[in-house]
Amino acid sequence: MQHLDHDRLVFLALGESEAANGESTHLDTCAHCRLEMETLQQVAGLGAETQGLADLPDPPEHVWQGITAEIRAAEGLPSLTHRQQVDDRSAGATPPPGPAGTGTPPGPAGTGTAGRSRGRRRGGWSRWAATAATAAAAAAIGVLGTVAVLGSDEPTPAPTQAVVASAPLAAYGSTPPTAEGDARVFQNGQLHLHVANLPRVPGYYEVWLINPTTMQMFSVGTLGGGSDALLPLPPNVDLRSYSVVDVSAEQYDNKPAHSGDSLLRGTLTG
Amino acid sequence: MTASGQEPDPPVDDLALRFCAGDEVALRAAYDRYGRAVLHLATSMLANRSDAEDVTQATFVAAWLGRETFDPAKGSLIGWLLGIGRRKVIDRMRAAARETRVVETVRQLPEPAQTGPDPDRVVDRLVVADELARLPDDQRRMLELAFYDDLTHQQIATVTGVPLGTVKSHIRRGMASLKRRWEVDGAAPGPRPAGLSGAR
Repeated sequence: MQHLDHDRLVFLALGESEAANGESTHLDTCAHCRLEMETLQQVAGLGAETQGLADLPDPPEHVWQGITAEIRAAEGLPSLTHRQQVDDRSAGATPPPGPAGTGTPPGPAGTGTAGRSRGRRRGGWSRWAATAATAAAAAAIGVLGTVAVLGSDEPTPAPTQAVVASAPLAAYGSTPPTAEGDARVFQNGQLHLHVANLPRVPGYYEVWLINPTTMQMFSVGTLGGGSDALLPLPPNVDLRSYSVVDVSAEQYDNKPAHSGDSLLRGTLTG
Repeated sequence: MTASGQEPDPPVDDLALRFCAGDEVALRAAYDRYGRAVLHLATSMLANRSDAEDVTQATFVAAWLGRETFDPAKGSLIGWLLGIGRRKVIDRMRAAARETRVVETVRQLPEPAQTGPDPDRVVDRLVVADELARLPDDQRRMLELAFYDDLTHQQIATVTGVPLGTVKSHIRRGMASLKRRWEVDGAAPGPRPAGLSGAR
């Protein structure tokens, strides 16, 4: 039996034309074609109902707050099997409240560990990974040098990460004033960034340190989709000079320089 | 640092896998991408806005805590999330119905949306919308003209200036993708005897 042409079934399903005589006869007798056409009809019906679904409103922020709060409560303390997490969690003396406020994601695959495992891969994925490795090594050496040997050959950073500088970040320029954030620099040379209510951008967010006197700047890294990021700083960075933390909106335009579109800024003190 | 999390259309499998692996960044990414759909499902079914928000919250919490039960090979993350959301909506509607029976005298309570849309239908719609958004631009544009503006292939060819044969092929491919996705991720499990269930 000659089945109906698939294009024809799509036509019929979209209601563009009536089935011709021969086609009706075939559809009456051929379960295969009939099922296909009816399925396509359902898909077309659903398709017609999708109008507007591409622009649904975002859930209010408190839903996300609720999700993270409930997950924290359900999971209790994060797994302590990952030493790095313990270190990170004890980092800030007072973790700010809120979802991402615990400094680093507690999950084993959180930003902190991701950075670390990348750093371990020699010849890693990016120059920032290389910087992470360097920073971590520098931190480890510093600890061994000052505290002497603690009976462990693990290259762990300092057991507690003191915050050496911090900055509240506020909306900059025409950014909606609800956008905000916090930046903290840990003694081990990592910059912890927490952001909230950033406007959606077509590209991505990039983090910079700026010297406000000279307006020289360098990129610290990019922000992922989350509200927190842990970014390695170059080990020799002078935070007294490069004191301004800036979060910019960048396009995928092959231009590594700052776009000029700053969303958040704050000045490190500490 | 790479910008992989920021690509306009990252591969869905990557997010699903990272979600399963317990990457909290993936939780936020999943929420950013699918929170709207889950909330829409809930608001479509529940009259009370704060109930709908609670359901959205509960859906993501349950998904995260139960992420080990999610098998990316069996369907998409959004399909799975909507499945959880659908169950939570139904639970909430049942609870609301019980409550209404108990407090029948409270007239100003909005009616629970029991006669509202079929949750399966809302889920199916969201799944199809998600797939539609993933289609190559040409396919999506032509399907939107066919679905929303009710244009024929010929009219689409005229409006877009694209040759009729190309229009046909875009529409056929787009429809095939939507169908495949719906069969995998739609609300009713298993192959569906379309037309036999009176679903039309």
